[in-house]
Amino acid sequence: MHEASIALSLLEKVIEECINNGCSIIKSVKIEIGRASGVMPDALSFVFNAIKADTIASSASLYINEKMLTAMCNKCHKEFSTEENYIFECPHCNSNSFNILSGKELNIIELEVE
Amino acid sequence: MKLKVVSKILDANERIAQENRKIFDDKKIFVINLMSSPGAGKTSLLEQTIKGLKDFAKIGVIEGDITGTDDAIRIDALNVPVVQINTGGGCHLDASMIQETLMELPIDDINLLFIENVGNLVCPAEFYLGEDIKAMVLSITEGHDKPLKYPMMFQQSKAVVINKIDLAPYLDVDMEKIRRDILSLNPTVAKFEISCKTGQGINQWTEWIKTNCLCRKH
Repeated sequence: MHEASIALSLLEKVIEECINNGCSIIKSVKIEIGRASGVMPDALSFVFNAIKADTIASSASLYINEKMLTAMCNKCHKEFSTEENYIFECPHCNSNSFNILSGKELNIIELEVE
Repeated sequence: MKLKVVSKILDANERIAQENRKIFDDKKIFVINLMSSPGAGKTSLLEQTIKGLKDFAKIGVIEGDITGTDDAIRIDALNVPVVQINTGGGCHLDASMIQETLMELPIDDINLLFIENVGNLVCPAEFYLGEDIKAMVLSITEGHDKPLKYPMMFQQSKAVVINKIDLAPYLDVDMEKIRRDILSLNPTVAKFEISCKTGQGINQWTEWIKTNCLCRKH
């Protein structure tokens, strides 16, 4: 259940960003989570909504944009993507050697504040 | 008003991990983050590793567990500086836990630090602590299906130590499948087949540390 500590980091980070910009209420938070980040969006939302009470984010909605896993094969140099959480081999040439291009994200993208 | 932010959610952890990294580099300490499921043999491997390397390295250990000091007591018995972290329910170690602990270790007198993470095949792989490498232990009693069921940890580790191979004759475990699946997940990984009980294979592991870890920071 490491989503709990990630949700806490997220909450601390967005409150800090809000205050640093001279605002006092967070209306919404938009984040992106890669399929291979090891974080379950539902679990993260659940914890975020549980811990935001009594903070300036108490009415904030959390929007999660899931990012597909994409990689570049080191053998045939083709790019590929998958809906799965993991890649085991290149679908074009079956090589096991590839570099992950996206899918590991765990980023805050945008805040709506007042 | 909308604020474009674009920052990492785990920014705080990442920042503290980089601070740890700088301390380790300044002090010339090579750091191995050792991970596995509970009971795979991380502490037994550390005991064997300390015995094999104590004349070559100044070793220190950070023990991570949800609760208890059993592991730290075992390491302390080998006269190696050790600090126990109790996460109090947390499923992994994070960078700030390590930073707080460093003050309790004689870091001027250590050049090889092992961080034994909380026994868990999932979450520890997500949190960078400032280590040089991640290494993991898989015991064959866990079954040959584990690499493909928990791929992230196998993909992130520079070394995989397969433990309890003395039990292979008594188990329905497909060793070939373990070897094949680990290499498919991580073609460049260093792989060791060992038994902490009999000592088989420990030598290859400690030699690898000597060549790949101890030489790197001198």
